[in-house]
Amino acid sequence: MATILLIIYGLVAVALLGALTHQTLATWAPGRSGSFFSRFRCVPPASFANAVVILYVIAALLGAIVYLYFRVDIRPSLERGGHWPALGFFDIKEHFISIGAALLPAYWVCWRRPRTDEPYRLRAALTAILAFIVWWGFLTGHVVNNIMGFGS
Amino acid sequence: MTSSATFRRFAFAYGTAFAVLYVVALKLDLALFTVYPAQSVVLLGTHHSRDVVDPAMSFLAPAMYWYGWTASAALGAFVFGLLGALLPGRGARWIWSGWLWVTPLAAMSACVYLTMPWFRL
Repeated sequence: MATILLIIYGLVAVALLGALTHQTLATWAPGRSGSFFSRFRCVPPASFANAVVILYVIAALLGAIVYLYFRVDIRPSLERGGHWPALGFFDIKEHFISIGAALLPAYWVCWRRPRTDEPYRLRAALTAILAFIVWWGFLTGHVVNNIMGFGS
Repeated sequence: MTSSATFRRFAFAYGTAFAVLYVVALKLDLALFTVYPAQSVVLLGTHHSRDVVDPAMSFLAPAMYWYGWTASAALGAFVFGLLGALLPGRGARWIWSGWLWVTPLAAMSACVYLTMPWFRL
């Protein structure tokens, strides 16, 4: 069960990572059609907001469930192996995820109900923070997952 | 329009307050509840297994506080969110919207600082 959940969690995380990376680059460095990298930044960033919110919530919920298995089955092994920095990075990940989840309502409002007098940099900053959190979570989760293997 | 503006004030206040309250909950260890996944037990408040059993045996009942810290901060932030929603629109415009991204960044830095002991082991 844990392995199936972890695989689904990973797939949702990849989709979220893609959506947020597209949106962040399109917000901070919009591109014009041309090279692959330019087209990557050509997307309308507001259209990603709903998907990002939904995927973030699903990923956070799946992560919260998988975390139970991690705490019982994986973390004691990491502690015995002295992987303290990895555990530290993982703790930072969980803090970041919570803070990011609380920003979702404001992030959604900024993109889907923008006000004319609202500075563009506000939604750009929120998007960048969420992108950083998701990238951090993805990379940290990946590293911790690969240190000992999951379910082994 | 009015409900949209009210939700905007709620969302801005909630996001900002959560970041602050999460750091407070983390620093003061204020978990609304503690989860013991191995026993499938949830206890209200912050509990440390080492307080009731020999510390050497605490690994038998690993405790999880992240859910409780998040719930504590969410509950507090919800109150601030409601207060923010009640603010008159004109009054809310005086508040710098940049707090919405500055506060989470500061909170994330504080979380990193509070996690530093892991890297000194």
